[in-house]
Amino acid sequence: MIKAIVNNIKGLYSLVVGLNITGRFGLGAYPVWLGLRKPQDGYPQLTTHYPWETIDDQDLVTFRGPVELIPNEKDPAKSKCISCMMCVKCCPSNCLTVVKADEGKAPKVWLSDFTLCSLCGTCVEVCPAHALRFSHDIYWTAEKRGDMVNDLLAKLAKNEKERQ
Amino acid sequence: MDINLWIVIKLVVALTAIILLLIGNSVIMVWVERKVAGFVQRRPGPYAVGPHGLLQTIADTVKLLGKQIVIPGSSDRLLFLLGPVLCMFPMFLLFLVIPYGPWLTGLEINLGILMILAFTGLEALAVLAGGWASNNKYSLIGAARTVSQSVAYEIPLILAMLALAFTAGSLNLTTITEGQSGWVWHWNIFKQPLAFIIFVITCFGETNRAPFDLPEGESELTGGYHTEYSGMGFALFFMAEYTSMMLVSFLAAVLFLGGSNGPFINGFWWTFLKMGLFMTFMIWVRWTFPRVRFDQLLNINWKWLLPLGLLNLWVTAIIIKLF
Repeated sequence: MIKAIVNNIKGLYSLVVGLNITGRFGLGAYPVWLGLRKPQDGYPQLTTHYPWETIDDQDLVTFRGPVELIPNEKDPAKSKCISCMMCVKCCPSNCLTVVKADEGKAPKVWLSDFTLCSLCGTCVEVCPAHALRFSHDIYWTAEKRGDMVNDLLAKLAKNEKERQ
Repeated sequence: MDINLWIVIKLVVALTAIILLLIGNSVIMVWVERKVAGFVQRRPGPYAVGPHGLLQTIADTVKLLGKQIVIPGSSDRLLFLLGPVLCMFPMFLLFLVIPYGPWLTGLEINLGILMILAFTGLEALAVLAGGWASNNKYSLIGAARTVSQSVAYEIPLILAMLALAFTAGSLNLTTITEGQSGWVWHWNIFKQPLAFIIFVITCFGETNRAPFDLPEGESELTGGYHTEYSGMGFALFFMAEYTSMMLVSFLAAVLFLGGSNGPFINGFWWTFLKMGLFMTFMIWVRWTFPRVRFDQLLNINWKWLLPLGLLNLWVTAIIIKLF
């Protein structure tokens, strides 16, 4: 009987502890006002408030953005792709279009339709030349469906030009 | 019949002011609740609609007004439409008896507490009407649970208020408030701390709020009495919930926390301030504690609150008799 009452009082005290935990964030972040925490440490809010704040690339290392071609070591404006069509055949959503050039192995046209892509990673896994990777482009928006078709060769050329 | 014109005018003015107060309360409370919920969950809450999301409630109201009121085919039409109305409209009368300031009461009657307790029972009937008329087994179970919870939690509420009535000598809310004038330690929370704790827990049980919101939290899972309601019916149930929250906060402020008596300048602003603090406390508790299972909910009432309420009443009676 006494044990039950003591347990209940301890239980009521745990309610107060819980209220303190949510009150620290919910009622205006009084630890910040008292100088115990700094707002820059992500206190009180953990949400990155888009569009005023964005997430840097270093926090997105494992994030899967739209697929992109990896530049060649010898010629960064060209990709490592050998136009074997493995990715095109393996894609479960049929979102890739690759057309081989008339001479050589490099592709002429390389399109990825992001409206269909499910970011499953099959194309990245299956490519024998390791020419594909996931980008970290999470803030890409478009207003028309057609704008979401990624011309990856043009993007490689643009990146190379921007780097120089 | 001798009708005093002054009382009639006072009633009409008070009712108009109360309607405005309740509508303003709903608008403000929805914003405060969503903001506090956001902050507790470490996110900003509504931010985009107005500056810091202030116009969010207006956007929500316009959306609810524009929705089609879908009435299930095999439901009882009259009761279905009557449910939310019956829930919301008696509440307007309850705010007449609360003393907002030293002379600012809509209707000063000698049985203020009795009136409030009577209308709390009416809300249970409205919920039952809504749940039965929906012709939905989950609604009916939710409504039955709401009614049993409401009725069960009325008893410790009565006991806590009775203890206060013993100390003050009358059921009149104005008398109880005036008994707390003077210094801060004259407030009833220091004279009757156990009654205050019982009252606070019963508040959450009566308004179907915070850890005791199983009948309404079920609406996130299956039913609950407001499953079949869309648009204005749902808005009325929602408004009724915030209104009962405000009523219970006013009662806590007036009965226990001193009403319009503050540490310094007395006036009606203290009542509103204390009411606002208590409502913020209710929102704080909602977003802190997990939901209580229904049998545990009723256990708290019958095994803990009722004996404690009786004990409190007994001790109060002994102390009043002896001193």
